[in-house]
Amino acid sequence: MTPVSDAAIVLATRALVSGYEPDLPIVRGVDLQVTKGEFLLLLGPNGAGKSTLVKTIAGLVPVHSGAILHDGADLTAMPPHLRVRHGLAFVPQTENVFTTMTIHENLLVAAQVLPRERRAGRIADLYAMFPDLARLKALRAGQLSGGQRQMLAVARALIVEPSVLILDEPSAGLAPKVVQDVFANLKAINAAGVTTVLVEQNVKAALAIADRAIVLVEGEVRLEGDARTLGDDAVVAELYLGSRHRPAEARR
Amino acid sequence: MTPQVLMDGLVAGAMIGLGAIGITLTYSILRFSNFAHGEFLSWGAYLVLAVASGLGFLAGGPASPLGPFSFGWTLPVALVAGIALTAALALVVDALLFGPLRHRGSAVIILVMASFGAALTLRSLLEFIFTSKPMYFTSALQIARPLGGGLRATPDQLLALGLAAILVVAIHLLLTRTAIGRSMRAVSENRQLAGIAGIDVRMVIRTVWIFGAGLACVAGVMSGLLVQIRPQMGLDLLLPLFAAAILGGIGSVPGAMIAGLIVGLAEAMTVQLVGAEWRAAVAFVILVAILLLRPRGLFGRPE
Repeated sequence: MTPVSDAAIVLATRALVSGYEPDLPIVRGVDLQVTKGEFLLLLGPNGAGKSTLVKTIAGLVPVHSGAILHDGADLTAMPPHLRVRHGLAFVPQTENVFTTMTIHENLLVAAQVLPRERRAGRIADLYAMFPDLARLKALRAGQLSGGQRQMLAVARALIVEPSVLILDEPSAGLAPKVVQDVFANLKAINAAGVTTVLVEQNVKAALAIADRAIVLVEGEVRLEGDARTLGDDAVVAELYLGSRHRPAEARR
Repeated sequence: MTPQVLMDGLVAGAMIGLGAIGITLTYSILRFSNFAHGEFLSWGAYLVLAVASGLGFLAGGPASPLGPFSFGWTLPVALVAGIALTAALALVVDALLFGPLRHRGSAVIILVMASFGAALTLRSLLEFIFTSKPMYFTSALQIARPLGGGLRATPDQLLALGLAAILVVAIHLLLTRTAIGRSMRAVSENRQLAGIAGIDVRMVIRTVWIFGAGLACVAGVMSGLLVQIRPQMGLDLLLPLFAAAILGGIGSVPGAMIAGLIVGLAEAMTVQLVGAEWRAAVAFVILVAILLLRPRGLFGRPE
């Protein structure tokens, strides 16, 4: 990995160990560095710890040891709602909208983090970014299609104008055409300056929009590199099968 | 059956409804049945009695009745203080008991059992401090006035009904139209998502205790004003409160009040048609019936 200055690093983990049970770590000593404006992709086979890693960063999984740093501040012991206020937004894979509330209420809930005078303007910005949400704003989120729900979840996360947006498999369960739309939206959001960390199983499509990719296996970083290079690497496919094979040139 | 059953049932139902709103709110946010909720009613009534007595003592004697009502100015002032004190009591119980259990990720059954323990402790403390002898906010007698259609009610009863209606509308508007209400609904639906949407879940939990205990205090004072104050009053109301909360649908404030009125009316009718000794069985029958026929209640959302 190319060394980067501390000032350019917006999100980092230091020897992060985490998991739901104290004696059962799922993430095992992960060192992560995400630079400002970067689009980072987290790949790995099922059970590799990708979701646990991003949930830990969001504050939803207990940290056993190590640290999470964001914009120079240590967030390791910070509750999830304060991480959001710090500019770290997370979109979970499932149950990522309040289904009993309307689209507008979902955005109002998220906008409560902002000063009162900025809330309406920010929601209007999001409606301009996602016109479909504006059209359906009185509809309960539980009535939305998978793609619309994902769009609302992303809009909800963007309300706070985060410096880092983390998404856990936003394409899961969506039709291929909808996945294209979701990825196009994510690329546009990243191009607008929001550092993006994406966990994804849809490897080919995700590598096409990411700058850099990291492959996790059994809770550890097994490979990392430029997204385009990794896309051509046959080893990635092998690692996806959980193989322990690690060619020397692919090691960190 | 006389038309008076309607008035008796509505007055009892309003008290039950207010208590049930507290139960439905705490259940929908904290996800456990708090069997100590009845004790918040009792403590609310006794705390208001203590403050009102203190104010009366400071004023040099009992205050003269306000207009047509049986109580003087000390009771409404004491009610405001009592709501704050009952809310503080609920926060203390949460900080000492439920909070640490939540933090440990304890199972629901542990929290329910802890609430039984809290109920016993709180009730015993009341008996220790105030004795088990019934007490009253006022010794003044009120004559029920005719309202037409064969209905009669005392001014205190009408005030209780009016206050309950105002509180239900206020809480409903708070939940649906305000930021804290939306936060409460968000935490109720998905606590984890609420956290990553920027909501301070612990603050919402504290708010729910404050509202639940405050409403319990009002219900306790109504019960004390219209009947009497006893350490067992909360325990006696517990089954009707849960029947109303479940019948109304967990999480539904209007549902809890409507169901409270239904339980109150059913009790009043039973007293007149079958006999007063069957009153306590009514809530139990309603509870069993609703759990068998429509577990999500009248206005609850499907799980």
